[in-house]
Amino acid sequence: MQRRTFITRMLSVAVVVSLGRVRRRAEAGVLPEKSLATLREVAAVALPSALGRRSTDQVVARFADWVRDYKAGVSMEHDYGRPRLRTTEPLPVENYIRQLADIDQAGGQRFARLGRDARRAILEKTLNEAKVENLPNRPTGEHVVSDLVAFYFHSSEANDLCYRANIGMLKCRNLASLAKRPEPL
Amino acid sequence: MPTFETDVCVIGSGISAAMLVEKLSELRPGTTITVVEAGNAIFDFSNRIKYRQRNLDYGENPWPGDFIEDQLADGIICHTMAVGGQALLWGSACNRFSEEDLRLKSLYGLAVDWPLSWEELEKAYCEAERRLNVSGEPSPYPEDRRSAPYPQPPTPMSYNLRELKVWAEKSGLLFSVLPVATNLTASAGRGACCAFSTCVPVCPTGARYSPDFTFRKLIAQKKIALHDRTLIRRLVLDAARPTIAAAQGVHRDRPDETVEYRARLFVLAGGYAWSPHLLLLSACSRFPNGLANSSGLVGRYMTGHKFVSAFASIDRQLYGGQSDVQSLISRKYLRCRAGGPYVRHDTRVWESTVGREPRLRDEHKRVLLGDDLLEDWRTRAKGGSVRLRSYYDVHPSPDSRLTLNPSTRNRWGDPMPKIEHRFDDATMAREAAVQEHIRKLFAELARADNGQILTTSVSNYLDHPAGGCRMGNEPAASVCDSYGRTHDHENLFVVGAPNSPTGGCTNGALTFVALALRSTDRIAQDLGWT
Repeated sequence: MQRRTFITRMLSVAVVVSLGRVRRRAEAGVLPEKSLATLREVAAVALPSALGRRSTDQVVARFADWVRDYKAGVSMEHDYGRPRLRTTEPLPVENYIRQLADIDQAGGQRFARLGRDARRAILEKTLNEAKVENLPNRPTGEHVVSDLVAFYFHSSEANDLCYRANIGMLKCRNLASLAKRPEPL
Repeated sequence: MPTFETDVCVIGSGISAAMLVEKLSELRPGTTITVVEAGNAIFDFSNRIKYRQRNLDYGENPWPGDFIEDQLADGIICHTMAVGGQALLWGSACNRFSEEDLRLKSLYGLAVDWPLSWEELEKAYCEAERRLNVSGEPSPYPEDRRSAPYPQPPTPMSYNLRELKVWAEKSGLLFSVLPVATNLTASAGRGACCAFSTCVPVCPTGARYSPDFTFRKLIAQKKIALHDRTLIRRLVLDAARPTIAAAQGVHRDRPDETVEYRARLFVLAGGYAWSPHLLLLSACSRFPNGLANSSGLVGRYMTGHKFVSAFASIDRQLYGGQSDVQSLISRKYLRCRAGGPYVRHDTRVWESTVGREPRLRDEHKRVLLGDDLLEDWRTRAKGGSVRLRSYYDVHPSPDSRLTLNPSTRNRWGDPMPKIEHRFDDATMAREAAVQEHIRKLFAELARADNGQILTTSVSNYLDHPAGGCRMGNEPAASVCDSYGRTHDHENLFVVGAPNSPTGGCTNGALTFVALALRSTDRIAQDLGWT
């Protein structure tokens, strides 16, 4: 076997192994570190700057946990009034990985190396091209950027930030404290 | 065939059943009571906080296994079939009907009078409120007088709700905090309310009453036996007399084996769908149209109430996310003047975030991200949003029916129920005017604080459905007497929602429980006599 052939075959094997690993991770709902690194850069632009980098990284970590703990095929709440039996759809984690790879390549250089305005422009273009119109109530798998934004902006933490007050939406609260105007943050 | 002997066999395990067996075990200690339920007993309270979180995060059913895939009815409003029934996921609203509901024919020439007096029902209401540990405040309307105070004070109003009360009362209507079966302090093995705001579908502390607590307590005290996962498929007549001899069914884990329950007295407590369904399924040569159905009225006069909902925007600063489950009620329009236009409805007010949620695109379709998104949200969060709703009174025609649907069957070949609501002529004739009255009222409410109605909609289903085995004094015009005893079979009672001749115009659960508790008095008497 010629040296060039050997190297080509070894590279092919490496690519297949690598792709297989990505697929297995995606099936298990695990976002690989490379995707998470890009997502952290996305979060720094897509989430409020008041959070600071440390907090936006934490939001990404919680989002990754959410993806990891997602289960397909589980019975969903069957509504009231016009009930229907439904199960959760598979979460297209592979799409997330591909979307993040596309974002990383979209600017001609790594996303992280771009300025804030350029990064924002890429995200806007990405969402326009993907025709994402609305913020879902919770991540749906439509697009990783809108899902991350929905994940944060529908949280109790974001609600407090919006109103600049300690509301504690959906958290365990004292009834008497609920009777008072929420304290400022 | 496995056969179980018991004094009382209760079929169904919702809130009416829970209250009935609790009271019966007190009135007749030593009576053997067997509760048979097709669904599962979901007695894993310790998992509720986890289920709640999964529901919030992923939309998963917080009551896993609370339905039976091939035991579904066409036209029902909830698929839950488990020990506790729909009261596993109710909001715990405990409104009383008004005196007028019982005298529709006498006062207005409409529908039918109920076969009991307001004083009798009011006494049963007090008992229901005590057993459910209802928190509430007296209505500001003197017609809503009560003979006993609520067992708990009212739920403290959230800041938002206090603001909304000020706003809403500018219309001239008077509001009070909705009475609810929710513990303000820990009691009866259930925790205190922590304002989690997920009463529907699941309360992680158990503060919001659900019947599973009652059943667990009674089982631990050995006062009842609970047979879950057991579907009763038919009632069997005594060979000689028109009484019920047995209930036959199957345990879902042993689908090929019939099980039989023999009892002195049978109580159907399966709610508006499954109680009339079982009677129709139990047709036999002596009762070819179904048991208890000499009148031909089993499965007829299916009732409930329609509703108009609206969202409004007001110039009053609210804090979104405080508590969208707490609400106010005005009972002003629960009664109307005889001789005037017939308009009866309740009026409810909640905080809302409609029109003030975070969004991905602005009105020019420009993508919003990061600080832009937050700023847009903050701008739109200035002011407040309100949810309004009125349940209004509609009266069923005899063709408002539950029938057996031959095209949908369970695994045993039993036809499933199909419910189609129809209204009487008077209801149809006034419907547009009633809806217009409610729309005008909402507009009047919204006028304060520069409010604007954002959207209005009319329900496409009846809430708090009931009927199907209506009570009455005349056997030819009703299925049961005022205690739920069927006219045709002296040892067969139907309790709770199916007894209601009409659906009222406010939440029905407390009324269904009150009727079931009143039935229990008669059942206990019967057990004493026999």
